Amino acid sequence: MSERLRVVVVNGSPREPSKTMALVDVILDTLSGMLPLESARVDVYRLGPGFTGAIEREDVTPDVEAALRLVESADLLVAATPVFRGSYPGMFKHLFDLVDQYALANKPVLLAATGGGDRHALVLEHALRPLFGFFEALTVPVAIFASSGDFDGTVLLNPAVYGRVETGLADVADLLRARATGTVV
Amino acid sequence: MFEIGIMTFGEVTEDPVTGKLPSPRRRVRETIEQARAADEAGLDVFGVGEHHRSDFVGSAPSILLAAAAEHTERIKLTSAVTVLGSEDPVRVWEQFATLDLLSAGRAEIIAGRGSYTESFPLFGYDLGDYADLFREKLDLLLRIREQNSLTWEGRLRAPLVDADIAPRPYGETIPIWVGVGGSPASAVSTGRLGLPMALALLLGPLTYHVDTVALYRQAAADAGHDAGAMPISINTHGFVGRTSQEARDTMFPYFAKGMMDNNHQRGRGFPLSRAAFDAQSSPGAGLMVGSAEEVAEKLLAYHELYGVTRAIVQLGFGGVPQSEHLAAIERLGAEVAPIVRREVEARQASVA
Repeated sequence: MSERLRVVVVNGSPREPSKTMALVDVILDTLSGMLPLESARVDVYRLGPGFTGAIEREDVTPDVEAALRLVESADLLVAATPVFRGSYPGMFKHLFDLVDQYALANKPVLLAATGGGDRHALVLEHALRPLFGFFEALTVPVAIFASSGDFDGTVLLNPAVYGRVETGLADVADLLRARATGTVV
Repeated sequence: MFEIGIMTFGEVTEDPVTGKLPSPRRRVRETIEQARAADEAGLDVFGVGEHHRSDFVGSAPSILLAAAAEHTERIKLTSAVTVLGSEDPVRVWEQFATLDLLSAGRAEIIAGRGSYTESFPLFGYDLGDYADLFREKLDLLLRIREQNSLTWEGRLRAPLVDADIAPRPYGETIPIWVGVGGSPASAVSTGRLGLPMALALLLGPLTYHVDTVALYRQAAADAGHDAGAMPISINTHGFVGRTSQEARDTMFPYFAKGMMDNNHQRGRGFPLSRAAFDAQSSPGAGLMVGSAEEVAEKLLAYHELYGVTRAIVQLGFGGVPQSEHLAAIERLGAEVAPIVRREVEARQASVA
């Protein structure tokens, strides 16, 4: 196993640039200050008809298969999405509908979401965390939410959100370091 | 020192009591009359808000302010706000520097992102660039204020090369405030720039902006500004009546009408109940309505809570009839302002 933590971001936002990925940038930047990492990203809205038209795993095109394997083989998964109509977008869920049932078991998953206002914050706990509960994944206890008002465009300015990112990652830094070096399962 | 002012959107609203719709001609004249009354009552600031719709005459605030300049002597004249993202900062500067010359140094600008978005498609701007437009244009406006001639380059506006931007103001400078509605990001970005902050509080508890102010001062201090010395103003709705009850009874039908026309849920206006209005008028809530003593007390509460040194009250939202509006202006200047100024001076003297 590599010494660097292999982080894979699942991006549920259709926009580019997006507040969701701006939040993820802050997360990755903070985490890289704690341990060496390499990151890759899967944009669910860029996977195309080979993804959207697939009902079963065997229906997907080879590039989509590669993206799914990337997700399944990560040391840390960052599941990041905007809130659409009170939950994660259907496209985001569709990716996880194609992920192998046991591929995420005991895998560290950091939950992050952005929404129009603070009223959406519990989407992390009531929608995203149960999804990874199904997968028996190891979700990081602190999930990260940011509202539109925390951003100037796509620049995150609210210091409270930076603080929460720091707290959430510090909680699991030892665990992630162990996963990166393969010293502990 | 504590400054008290008024502002208007120049509403052209059907009177909910008489059913009459005033003409735009009448409303522009009434707007200038309000400025004159405020000046005569000894108020410090007169502001005009920018809205690009038929139910307001505030599409071109700088022109209304220029007319007001000709009918007033001492009062400061400000936009409230200039929707800077859909403006050309060069033009904004030219207009307000001219206003400053006309008024012998009384022009001010409150630059805002704007809570209404009509101006963006009107002037050909993409709402998708909302945040970037404001950031970039504020940068340009501040640079124009700093120096002439100017070379400047941005992403969303054509570059300027050794541009001669005239006139220069009458006085040293033109104050530029930033209008902030309460999002953490705009408090932080305004604080970092070290600019005075004009807080808007429509409805809600008096304490609504405690976090906003804390974030603003912290960001200012982090950027090396003297956070304690940076002015903050509170801009809110209100009405000063003869009595507590009369103020509420007069203001309520018009305020409810203004809210119905401008504040939407499910894409439509919604009725503001008298009970909800009365709750917003209580001592713990933001609305500046009541007798002179009551309004003075609330202004002092704002001063104590946020350290604000200026308040701008919108007395006529929803098209309050001119005679009532003028009476409220008179009371704000003659009865409220002396109490507040005296009390704030006493407090500042006891601290010093």
